[in-house]
Amino acid sequence: MNLIVNGDAEAGPGGTADPVARVTGWRVVEGAPALVGYDVGQGYPTAADPGPPRRGSRFFSGGESPRTVLVQDVELPAAGRTGRGRVDAGHVRFTVSAWLGGYAAQEDGARLSVEFRDAAGTPVALAVLGPVTSGERQGRTGLVERSATAALPPGARTARVLLVLTRTGTGTSNDGYADAISLTLNATGGKP
Amino acid sequence: MKTNRRDLLKAAAAAGALGAVWPLVGDLSPAQAVEAAGLLGAEYDPAPFTLGVASGDPTPTGFVLWTRLAPEPLAAEQALPEVVEVKWVVAEDRDLRRVVARGTAPASATLGHSVHVSVDGLRDGRQYWYAFSALGRRSRLGRTRTAPAGPVSRVRFASANCQAFHGGYYAAHRGIAREDIDFVVHLGDYIYEGGPVSGPRGNGTAVDFTLGDYRRRHALYKGDRSLREAHAAHPWFLTWDDHEVVDNYSGTGGGAPFMQRRAAAYQAWYENMPHRDDSETALPDPEIHRVRRWGDLLELTVLDLRSYRSAQNLPDGTILGARQKDWLKRGVDRAPDSWHCWVNSIMLNQLRGRPGGDFMFTDQWDGFLAEREEVLTHVHRSGLEDLVVITGDWHSAFVGDVRTDFDEPSSPVVGTEFTAHSISSNAYSPAWNAANGPRMGAANPHLQYFEGNRYGYDLYEVTPERWTTSMRVVQDLQDPVSPVTTLTAFHVDRGKAGAYEDPATKNSPAQYRRG
Repeated sequence: MNLIVNGDAEAGPGGTADPVARVTGWRVVEGAPALVGYDVGQGYPTAADPGPPRRGSRFFSGGESPRTVLVQDVELPAAGRTGRGRVDAGHVRFTVSAWLGGYAAQEDGARLSVEFRDAAGTPVALAVLGPVTSGERQGRTGLVERSATAALPPGARTARVLLVLTRTGTGTSNDGYADAISLTLNATGGKP
Repeated sequence: MKTNRRDLLKAAAAAGALGAVWPLVGDLSPAQAVEAAGLLGAEYDPAPFTLGVASGDPTPTGFVLWTRLAPEPLAAEQALPEVVEVKWVVAEDRDLRRVVARGTAPASATLGHSVHVSVDGLRDGRQYWYAFSALGRRSRLGRTRTAPAGPVSRVRFASANCQAFHGGYYAAHRGIAREDIDFVVHLGDYIYEGGPVSGPRGNGTAVDFTLGDYRRRHALYKGDRSLREAHAAHPWFLTWDDHEVVDNYSGTGGGAPFMQRRAAAYQAWYENMPHRDDSETALPDPEIHRVRRWGDLLELTVLDLRSYRSAQNLPDGTILGARQKDWLKRGVDRAPDSWHCWVNSIMLNQLRGRPGGDFMFTDQWDGFLAEREEVLTHVHRSGLEDLVVITGDWHSAFVGDVRTDFDEPSSPVVGTEFTAHSISSNAYSPAWNAANGPRMGAANPHLQYFEGNRYGYDLYEVTPERWTTSMRVVQDLQDPVSPVTTLTAFHVDRGKAGAYEDPATKNSPAQYRRG
């Protein structure tokens, strides 16, 4: 189960290249993102460009701000196969994945990080994905998949998801793109 | 005659043996790298606590404890389980018998097997000792303290900055470790990210780009036992400057390749520092700026002049970023009646190279004129008194009046800036200093003092009546145990803006003194 709300940019206002003030499930900490439709065109990624196989209708972009930052706090499950008991016994792994991209040969970028915290708010694990360079996209407009998996440390209770979309140069559009953002937990043996 | 380590290192330096192999070149195994580092004076604590222990960000109820498991300190990743349980203990005595807190914390490979423990619920103004254990071994003992609350009659602390490993040995940190002080402030340039460098302690070529690169760089620096001693002896407050990432960078506006590099550098910095990060943002972008109080005597405002800055020399440029600037100004508005110290990585005061000439470096606040004027005018209009700014970056010592308008000598003096010598990063030549000290003095009427021929740290003693900055300098940068002496001292009296030099040392060597 994906623990991130609206990691696919499908919910709430959006659909055009215009920035939005609010994003379902996320706090907009800086700038203003656009939740761009794959049918918008105008140089934005389309259904025909590299991207998630099941990409829905929209993706995140940085809007028109030089730096757009979205944050989502996730409470990790209290019980169940990936609940606290299993986490504290060292029997849970996390996987963070996202499709991240940009425009043509430009170096605008999207970076996704997930910081796992203990009950006191101290970081105990970290996953950082991207940003993807134009070289890593072979200079093509589109998004490529990045993922990280690791053991979830005992004591982990929350996750802070941070999506940073950055613009380089003097243009208007912040063409850091992200879609299909996911955080999942998996039990790794031992009795529940 | 018994040959000691100090003699061996000096002999090696004299024979040109140092720098034959730079420990961070790519084709060395981690063990070979440690061996090469050893020839440059690096020696590590026993594994897995090779990098020592540290504490930071003291408050009246606690502090952060830090260590990092690194059996192979110069490896990018450690051959350890993904998560290692680390025990920690805090006690009122150095034998760790009167335990006041203990627990376990996970060291995750995703954070370089570092551990940050936020200890809370302690008594204010007390000294504590601490240690970690893991994998059947115990770390060295660390000493720390909580901040006091309420009336305080004295605080003593030191600042360090600019500690290029290749530049020399850390006798200055050895001195800091032995000072009777409450805490240490690091003003930045804790590491240098590389490039062709040469100095008394090696010739480096490797440049850092990846997380592994930066991890290895931090581990090389912590190979100097004096740095580990200084961390273990006192709690630290931390800011950073540019070389924790790359020379003269702006934290905003870079393309994806730079943002990858910046994230790697920031993460490695966090992994290797006793930094508390419980901010509104998240790693790999730690939040540095904060206000801390030492009882009713001192308000410490730690600034981050890198993460949010724009490019230099723009009409609407920013060195603080809009949110940090608003936060700073609100802090000025609400400031208590105490000394106010801004922890400032890079020079605040204006600095022209010659009368009527250009600014020397616009990477410092001189590249952000409108914002500096706005902030200092706000300080003046708010009536803030007793402001002392402590600064690094310059590899030389300056003392100067902070004015609202540096080109108008009659404008109000709102504070004093002390820019400290570097720990080991190379300064200009004595000839340059001799020629340019008087030029800078003539070009900058607010400048009181300049001295660029020495290395060391600043020591601050603050009472309700007076602030004293003592410039502590090492005798020989190539001597790991060089004695430390006081070059000179400056005082600021409470309620009276402007510094004056201590009469006992006002004839000490310097390349400029205002008449």
